[in-house]
Amino acid sequence: MGYSLAVILDKKRLEGIKGTGLESKVTDMFGGAIQALIMDVPDEPYAKRILAEFPGARIDARNFLEEVPVAFKKAVYEEIRRLKSMGPEVLDAVFEKMAEIKELAAQEQEYLPPPEVD
Amino acid sequence: MEIKIKTPLPHGGRLVDRVVRNPELGKKMAKGCPAYDIKPNLYNGMPVRNVYREIMSICYGFFSPVEGSMTQAEVERVLKERRLLNNWIFPYPLVFDISEEDYKKLGVSVGDRLLLRLKGQPFAVLDIEEIYEIDPQEIATRTFGTPENNPEVVRRAFDTKHPGYVIYLSLNRIVLAGKYTIINEPRLRPPFDRFWYPPAKSREEFKRRGWTTVINHQTRNVPHVGHEALLRNAAFTGDTKPCDGILVNCIVGAKRLGDYPDEAIVEAHEMVNLAGYVKPQRHMVTMLLWDMRYGNPLESLLHGIVRQNMGCTHHMFGRDHAAVGDYYDSYATQILWEKGIPSFGFPAPPNAVEYGLLIRPQNMAEFWYCPHCQEVTYSENCNHLDEIQRFSGSFIRSLLSEGLFPPPVIMRPEVYKVVVKWWKQFGYPFNNRKYLTEREKELEVDLAPMDI
Repeated sequence: MGYSLAVILDKKRLEGIKGTGLESKVTDMFGGAIQALIMDVPDEPYAKRILAEFPGARIDARNFLEEVPVAFKKAVYEEIRRLKSMGPEVLDAVFEKMAEIKELAAQEQEYLPPPEVD
Repeated sequence: MEIKIKTPLPHGGRLVDRVVRNPELGKKMAKGCPAYDIKPNLYNGMPVRNVYREIMSICYGFFSPVEGSMTQAEVERVLKERRLLNNWIFPYPLVFDISEEDYKKLGVSVGDRLLLRLKGQPFAVLDIEEIYEIDPQEIATRTFGTPENNPEVVRRAFDTKHPGYVIYLSLNRIVLAGKYTIINEPRLRPPFDRFWYPPAKSREEFKRRGWTTVINHQTRNVPHVGHEALLRNAAFTGDTKPCDGILVNCIVGAKRLGDYPDEAIVEAHEMVNLAGYVKPQRHMVTMLLWDMRYGNPLESLLHGIVRQNMGCTHHMFGRDHAAVGDYYDSYATQILWEKGIPSFGFPAPPNAVEYGLLIRPQNMAEFWYCPHCQEVTYSENCNHLDEIQRFSGSFIRSLLSEGLFPPPVIMRPEVYKVVVKWWKQFGYPFNNRKYLTEREKELEVDLAPMDI
């Protein structure tokens, strides 16, 4: 069984994938209020490993992998951009940096900078 | 045929009130008693429950007709039939547990009165009627059910990933049973103080507002637009007209890592009316002190009891009500309120059995966003199944963590700003270890010094 992983694209990230051929893969969510790249994540070995590495991660009611660390999502975005792909090789590349991601994730558990809002 | 619906009697017929409001009388009651400092139950070093919240909810009548820590026979009956010894239905065992070491130190026996201190001050007394030993593992398993014994709704065995299950696992083995009495009335700290409406007070407030039909919205969350659609649409039920009032009753207590801080939850719900999405005249935000068990159908039973005691005529129940993970059927609560769950002692719904509830269920399916309809719509109406987008609390939490302003179609901007207000205060938007640990030191109340 497979799951999905949504990498949300803000303006900066949208700009970052220009010219990579990934633009056509951008999905509109909530009537275009949010843009995302939605990756397929096979259960074995990918989803299982993600759930095992990050105890807070979960599968939500939509079958999406959510509540993964910000550092993980950031790494997924970077690898998508670098490899110009949304295939399993993206997650393979992310897993290679797992130690570093987990270190950042542990820091995230202590503090996340609040956004500036009016 | 009676068309108009009236305010229901409390569960058990009368509201429990075990609060001594005269401090001199309180001192007198506690004089010469051995004293015990209440401490939280820990699991893997994390606080998962504080019995003080149960004492508050019992003594102020939220859990009427329960009056104290249950005897062994009562725990057994609750686990077997979900009924108290006086026959009224009740879902969970509630006990005052202490370690064997503390028990030996205290040297108390049946007939003694124990003074319970909170934050170093006298808080309540427990009149000991019975002392017995429990097996926390057994209580935990029997409390929530198993796929073998409760095949109608339990889908898989409970384990230590379930936050309610670990509450029961964390219990100490010795139980002191007996009635509680609060002798030094705590003061709720801001922001909780303005949401504190014990049942007698909420009933008075309903009367003052001229509300007869009131529907309750249960929450442990900051509201997204899907929650708001649920509460607004469910409130169209009533009698000859939609419900007069919508009562939001927020669960305040130890919760799991990753949930929102309680301060943000209560204020975010209040913001729904302050920002005018539901008129404040029709919407009232309150709280319940309770370390949530996440028991889906069983939790809904407790919710029915609490909200009937508060004076509500209706209770809305959605999919995965008070659930975490996939331990129960997604519609387990609705199954209970539609036809009952025989293996949990309900051959019929809780309001169709003797000594049952008077509150009416309003079982709702789902609200989702449909780009075709261009609105948040009810799943039983909208048929654009290939286009719809489901709300997901987990997705919204991920969005927030990344520092993105959620679009108004998902979360009201005013509500988001409340989240950010508390994010700035705690340095984190959700419950992390630091928040949960600090929180258990400060609690939601302060107590005035009392010399005994």
